[in-house]
Amino acid sequence: MSNKINCKEVMNHICENLGEEIDSPRCASIKAHLDKCEGCQKYFNSVDTTIQFYKNYNVKISSDAHNRLMDFLDLNDA
Amino acid sequence: MTEEELIKKAQDGDRKSLAEIVKKYEQTIYNFAFKICRDKERAEHTMQETFLSLVKNISQFSGNSKLSTWLYTVVSNHCLMLARSNKKRTHASIDDDENSIGEKNIAVWDVTPDKITENEELKDILDEVITKLPQDYKIVFLLRDVEGLSTEETGKILNLSIPAVKSRLHRARAFLRDQLNTKLSHE
Repeated sequence: MSNKINCKEVMNHICENLGEEIDSPRCASIKAHLDKCEGCQKYFNSVDTTIQFYKNYNVKISSDAHNRLMDFLDLNDA
Repeated sequence: MTEEELIKKAQDGDRKSLAEIVKKYEQTIYNFAFKICRDKERAEHTMQETFLSLVKNISQFSGNSKLSTWLYTVVSNHCLMLARSNKKRTHASIDDDENSIGEKNIAVWDVTPDKITENEELKDILDEVITKLPQDYKIVFLLRDVEGLSTEETGKILNLSIPAVKSRLHRARAFLRDQLNTKLSHE
């Protein structure tokens, strides 16, 4: 495998392995590229932000929905 | 009382232990179901069906996997079944790598993840974008990246090989990122 790595490969790698296999030789090349390439840094950050958006978007179960669930399961008196 | 003890007592017919198990997982399961359906009514229905399945089948639970994994499996299968029966919903094609990953349009986004709770407009965008993903890609993304399950656990839940999980995750991340990029970026 060539040591020379391009932005397209880096972006593919980011989407495949975000946060995984960080000690592999391939990852060392990716990190070296990321340190120098502003475009790939922005891409990495935007993939990470995408995940954080969906992680942070949560809904709480209402007490009505909880009561309906326990009624549905016939567990309200348990 | 440990979860193992609660399950054992529930299997022996103790309804209070069964209720404790339901209460322990209802928030997680409702939230996960909402993240797939993006609709509170359907999320509640899915949650009810999931726990009904638990109540009916608790005696068969062997403890070989975590109870949470078992519950995620029921939710995922229920949502995949609903998606298959609702063929009217169309999803984006994300099979083409050349379209899903691009060097183009790398820009700065206007919003940050910590602002999500008070930003209804952003929530609408997130709902709209993820709804375009085919259901199996969406569930892989949610299990791996949002719920934090391992690739192996995700594969087990969806009956997919590890390469298949990785491929779907890769495409889902790239698709969501590119879609959000068009909506959130500025020059």
